[in-house]
Formats: sequence, structure tokens, C-alpha cells
Amino acid sequence: MSKRIDYPSASDEVLVRNAQKGDMLAFEELVKRHRDKLYARAFSMVRNEDEAVDLSQEAWVKGWQRLKQFQGEASFLTWMTRIVINLCLDQLRKLKRLRSESIEQMDEETGGVERHMPVVNVNPTEGLERGELRERIDRALNQLSYAHRTVLILHEFEGLEYKEVAKRMECSIGTVMSRLFYARRKMAGLLAGLKQERNS
Amino acid sequence: MNHEMELKLQAQLDGELSAAEAAEVDRLLQQDPAARALAAELKSTQAILLGNEIPRALPESPDFFWSKVQREIQRLEPAPARQRPPWLTWTFRLLAPAGLAALLAFMVWSPFSGGVQLAKMPAHAEIENPLDDASSITFRSETEGVTVFWVSTR
Repeated sequence: MSKRIDYPSASDEVLVRNAQKGDMLAFEELVKRHRDKLYARAFSMVRNEDEAVDLSQEAWVKGWQRLKQFQGEASFLTWMTRIVINLCLDQLRKLKRLRSESIEQMDEETGGVERHMPVVNVNPTEGLERGELRERIDRALNQLSYAHRTVLILHEFEGLEYKEVAKRMECSIGTVMSRLFYARRKMAGLLAGLKQERNS
Repeated sequence: MNHEMELKLQAQLDGELSAAEAAEVDRLLQQDPAARALAAELKSTQAILLGNEIPRALPESPDFFWSKVQREIQRLEPAPARQRPPWLTWTFRLLAPAGLAALLAFMVWSPFSGGVQLAKMPAHAEIENPLDDASSITFRSETEGVTVFWVSTR
């Protein structure tokens, strides 16, 4: 370490540079800053608290081991998020949770029930506090299958393009498009249903 | 509207269509009110999700979590090599014979050593080698009155 740094006020870039030279305190500060976001991403994918804690811990260990490979093309948080997503996908594959049930698979191919569902009007801000809206979205996400939720998370929340989602999920772009369509329509229905429940 | 067109409608919203395909979807949107309604639903669902993911905090104390991460990092860190560095090995190899020769000369001629008289040594006598990394052989010819002390490094 060439010079002392004030860890809490240092930027991620400075902390990463120091951590790459073996400074464990700099890495600890990075963990402190981003551990909740990484845990939240893991939880959103595996929907289990203990698994999400273990996976985010594993991601931090892998992050330290691969830190020298980080070149700064994306932000450190984005880089770490990619690591935790890959670990979650491995876990979901291992537990065979990413496989769609055969009926669901057929639905995806033909458009399924969601295709014939009446179009709904979902107004995101209508009479809802932000916290309440987030709770409802989370409840609706919880009702999707792992495969549909994962596509939605990778595309909508992580901003990955179709081909990147397909690569990570080891499926075709067509499957990604179908799953995304299915997931969006189901979410629209669930959110509209929640709104109706609230109004009645 | 068939399923393929529905997926194209969605792909346009996601900016994943070529210019020609986008134009095809635009034509459909102009002609078909159902397509317009579906596009509106997909768009508003996208908007409702954006930035509204529920935040979550790690359900463990920060110190406890870090201690687990740190312990795992240390456990997986490769143990430091116990071998001596190559430069030291080579230095040792070069200097060991010279050191032994100096020791031998000291034993023979030093007034403090009591003057080990090689000529008076029995034929089977061995000169002890104190070094681990070098082996030695002692040979004495009574007829020639010569003692040969051979040192080799391993």
C-alpha cells in the first residue's frame, strides 16, 4: 500500500485499486457498501433467505479471488452483481428450478393463457405509496415461476439484452422473448388484480 | 394478431427490432386497436417495474457477515511456499564445496584445531560433513600418502 486512505470516504475505484494490491480493509469497505444490494439480487432470484445469504457470501469470496481481472469496464457493483447472478443461475440449474413444467412450456410456445387474457390497464402510481407499490410488485413476482421471474429480473432490472439473457440462461432468444411476454402479461394481470382487490 | 406479432410488438418496446421489423410493427399499431392496447399494457407494466424493486437488507450483522467472508477468503488463500528461493539454492550449491574445502584446510593447518594430521589418519577414517545439502567421500591412499576429500552438492 503506497499511502494511507480514508476508507469510508474513498471512491469505489480507489478502494478497488487498493484491494487489488491485497488491501483487505479496502475490500471490507466495498463489502460494507454493497452487501445489501448483492443480497437483495440473490434473494430476488432464489426467494430464500438462507440461500441468498450463502450465495452473496460466495460472490464476495469469488470477487476477492478474481479482483485482479476487474478492469473497470463496468462499475464494481455491476461486476459483483454479474457474479452473484451467475452463482444464483448455477444454483437454480442445480436444483432444476429453471425448467418450465411441460404445460407451462407449451403455453410459452403458443402464447398460453396469458395470450388470451384481456388487456388490463395498470397505472403504476394510482393511489399507491411507493413502499406499498413495491410490496405489491414483490408479491406478484413471487407468484411467477423461477424461469419467468429470472428472465424478468435479468431484462427489466439488470437491463440485459435478449441475447445476453439467453446466453446466461442457456436457452434460445425465442424462449427468452416468450418467457418475457408471459411474465409481463402475468405481472400485469396480478397487479391489476391487486388493484381491484384494494378498490373493492 | 398472431403470437409472433405479439412478440415483435414487445421486441419493439425493448428496442430489439431491426428498422424493417419496427416499420412492420408501426403499421400494425396504426391499423389494429387490440395491438395498441397490448402495447400500452406492456409499456405500463415495464414502467411500473422500473425502479420499484423492493430493497432488502442482509439479515445478518455486518461484522458477522464480513467475518464469514474473510474467514473463507483466508481458508482458500494458497499457503505460502515453503521452498527456499531459487537464488538461495544456487548460491548454496556454488558455495558449499568452497566452504567445505575451507573447513578442511582449517582442520589441517589451524593451530587451534590441534592439527588434524591427515597423514596419521587410518585408511578407514571419514571426515565428517556437517552440511545437509552436500555429500562427501573421503579416500586415503597409504602408499601415496594422499587423502582425497570429494564433495558434491545434491
